[in-house]
Amino acid sequence: MYKASLKAMLLSGSFALALPALASTLTVSSPQDPGSWDPVDTFLVNWSSVATNIYDGLTYRAPDLTLQPGLATSWEQLDEGSRIRFHLRENVTFHNGESFNAESVKFTFDRLMGEEGKKGPQRSNYAAIQSVEVIDPLTVDFHLNAPDPVLLTKLAGYGAMIVPPNYIKENGEEFFNTHPVGTGPFKFETYEPKVRIDLSAYENHWGGAPKLDHLNYRFISEPSTAVAELQSGRVDLVIPPTIPIGMISTIEDDPKLDVVTTASPTVFALRFNTRDGITKDERVRKALIYGVDRQAIIDSILGGQAAQISSFQSNISFGNDPDMAPLPYDPNKAMQLLKEAGVKPGTKLQIDIRGNDATFSEVAQAVASYLQIVGINATIKPYETNVLLNDIIPSGKTGAMFQQKWGGWTLDYDNTAYFMYHTGEKWNPYDSDSALDEMLESQRSITDMSKREEILQSIARYTADRALEMPLYSQDAIFGISKKVKDFTPVPDNRLRLNEVYVD
Amino acid sequence: MGSFLLKRLFQAVFVLLAITLIVAYAIRLTGDPALMLTQGAGSVTEADLQMIRESLGINKPFVAQYLEFLQSLLVLDFGRSFLGGTSVSTLIAQSLPATLALATCVMFVSIVISIPLGIKAAVSKGKWADQVIRIVSLIGLSFPNFWLALMLVLVFSIWLQWLPPSGMTDFTSFIMPAFTMAIILTATNVRLVRSSMLETLQSQYIMVARAKGLSENKVLYKHALRNCAIPLITYFGLQFGGLLGGIVVIERVFNWPGLGTLAFDAVGSRDYPVLQAVITVLSMLIVGVNLLVDIAYGLIDPRIRTES
Repeated sequence: MYKASLKAMLLSGSFALALPALASTLTVSSPQDPGSWDPVDTFLVNWSSVATNIYDGLTYRAPDLTLQPGLATSWEQLDEGSRIRFHLRENVTFHNGESFNAESVKFTFDRLMGEEGKKGPQRSNYAAIQSVEVIDPLTVDFHLNAPDPVLLTKLAGYGAMIVPPNYIKENGEEFFNTHPVGTGPFKFETYEPKVRIDLSAYENHWGGAPKLDHLNYRFISEPSTAVAELQSGRVDLVIPPTIPIGMISTIEDDPKLDVVTTASPTVFALRFNTRDGITKDERVRKALIYGVDRQAIIDSILGGQAAQISSFQSNISFGNDPDMAPLPYDPNKAMQLLKEAGVKPGTKLQIDIRGNDATFSEVAQAVASYLQIVGINATIKPYETNVLLNDIIPSGKTGAMFQQKWGGWTLDYDNTAYFMYHTGEKWNPYDSDSALDEMLESQRSITDMSKREEILQSIARYTADRALEMPLYSQDAIFGISKKVKDFTPVPDNRLRLNEVYVD
Repeated sequence: MGSFLLKRLFQAVFVLLAITLIVAYAIRLTGDPALMLTQGAGSVTEADLQMIRESLGINKPFVAQYLEFLQSLLVLDFGRSFLGGTSVSTLIAQSLPATLALATCVMFVSIVISIPLGIKAAVSKGKWADQVIRIVSLIGLSFPNFWLALMLVLVFSIWLQWLPPSGMTDFTSFIMPAFTMAIILTATNVRLVRSSMLETLQSQYIMVARAKGLSENKVLYKHALRNCAIPLITYFGLQFGGLLGGIVVIERVFNWPGLGTLAFDAVGSRDYPVLQAVITVLSMLIVGVNLLVDIAYGLIDPRIRTES
């Protein structure tokens, strides 16, 4: 041990003599500036890609999706899940020197559930938390309104990031938005709105100092610009959602660059209007699914960067049943079902999609041509994304089929199924099924994970039996990376902690 | 001159009011910012949304919101961005110089290229130099600017690695965006200078100047150019205004931290205060530039001064 460290000292010493100490810097291209770095203010994935490095939560979810200790070293569920006790990590300090303890935890959640939290979108996600009680400086109890089986995961990100009480009280909320302080492996340096945010290593991080000295993010929304920066060597890593499928080969052709992909929670489906028109008939909905070769679409249009799904969730989602198979491609069966349902060849049908999604618009065209083969005349209607999401779908003004893109960082099927299928939900303008409602409600209060998984899987099977949507695929998260970057592990949800990464 | 200015100022205020009213009304038809903010948060209830709307101040009637906007406009305070609560004036103060600097570069490059070329073409009308200049400018005119931008990036940033592909850093970062825009403007400007010069060169005072035995350069640059200046200045002035609005595409391709990028992002996130502010500032600039052009007439051409 002593020998090894001596050797390391000598090595680093000679290195320092040979070269002026080169600070290692990683520059990341991120497509969006969230405008504020306060955890309660935004819901943007690209807030999280940066903030994961600035803040810690009580729990930590590793890239392999296992839940690990974060600022809490251990926890236990008490009173049948209505109380959770957290034991906190000792000797942790925020970047400003303030020490982390039970009061910081209480402050964080009082703030999230109080006036400040009400102004932002994060609060509703933690509605299960009634209050936080300080037991001693290193122990807190969370009192819950109702058990929330996903709460421990939610504590690993977004609104649950622990913030420094004194710093915020002294400097004010507005200052905190643009000068974030947390306990994470990187500390904030400078922020230029819409241009960049620069971080540097926090040597005193409880998990050890990160390997990089500087971590800089530049906000570049145009994919070709981000890739040009990567190719010219001024950016080392381009994170999703930036790189479209069509640009993968450009990056792969460059000997200095690599494309790294991983399964993501983002899933695509064409959902049906189950209330009116021909898609009211379950046989017709199944026929339409049989009629489209989804695997061929994945192989050709998506360049293989996607996986078929059997229900509206990705294969890494909690609640996915690996034994469930998607309906096969079978045009004959499709035509037979359509005939049974009395749908005449040449019947018209409208597919609503997001107009700004070039890749999906190709997918929709492929779907339309498959439907043509089985005798359905599909027309595609593109909408501006916000109009489709905030008006056309919620108020039930869609065509017979409409695009839905969904995904959630918790990777829990509840986060999809409840909002898609429960009666009266914003995303469910057409369907009402009391049996389904009951299943959806029942899994929400169970903390026994295996029982919950069983219910979620049966919900998935039930929706597939009723063919509530045409499940298409889950899309991979695509990272463009310079080969100089080592030890990079892609994550499904873009919450990239870059403390293990280094640059050669 | 005084009453003329007053009349123009009154017109300018009216134009600004009309524009802000239309923009403020139109953007509110296109979607709820509270829903935009909570996208991806599945578990949002109507009560949550109401709280967010209240904190953004968009639960009030439209007239009240618009009057508030006008009131704050008087002290040049544009409120706070819906995205993160940054002061909009700060955002504008950061991006306006970037856009103005780029637009000025574009105009400068374009004028410096187009005046000598246009004069050369006019003087050698029908000869090979004129043909070459006209054909080249036609080619320049036919390029879509985003395509040209991508090609320049490919050559100078990726292959040669001489220039940064995006962002605003030192002067090298101005070269590609300025040239992309300037080449397209130059194509039009050369033709304008040429035709305006041709017209002037046929006048009698040019003949007199030549008859006096003045050098050709003196005839061209002192007598002829000064007389074509009026249509040129009008055109360049309007062009500058158009440029500020049209620079969005180029700003986006080059990730330029200017007003165009700010407006583009604001549309995407339904950030009313930012969008209203950007459009108000842009219209102020365009109206202001037009006013300056009118005043400049008087300075250059004494005839207009005495008439008014």
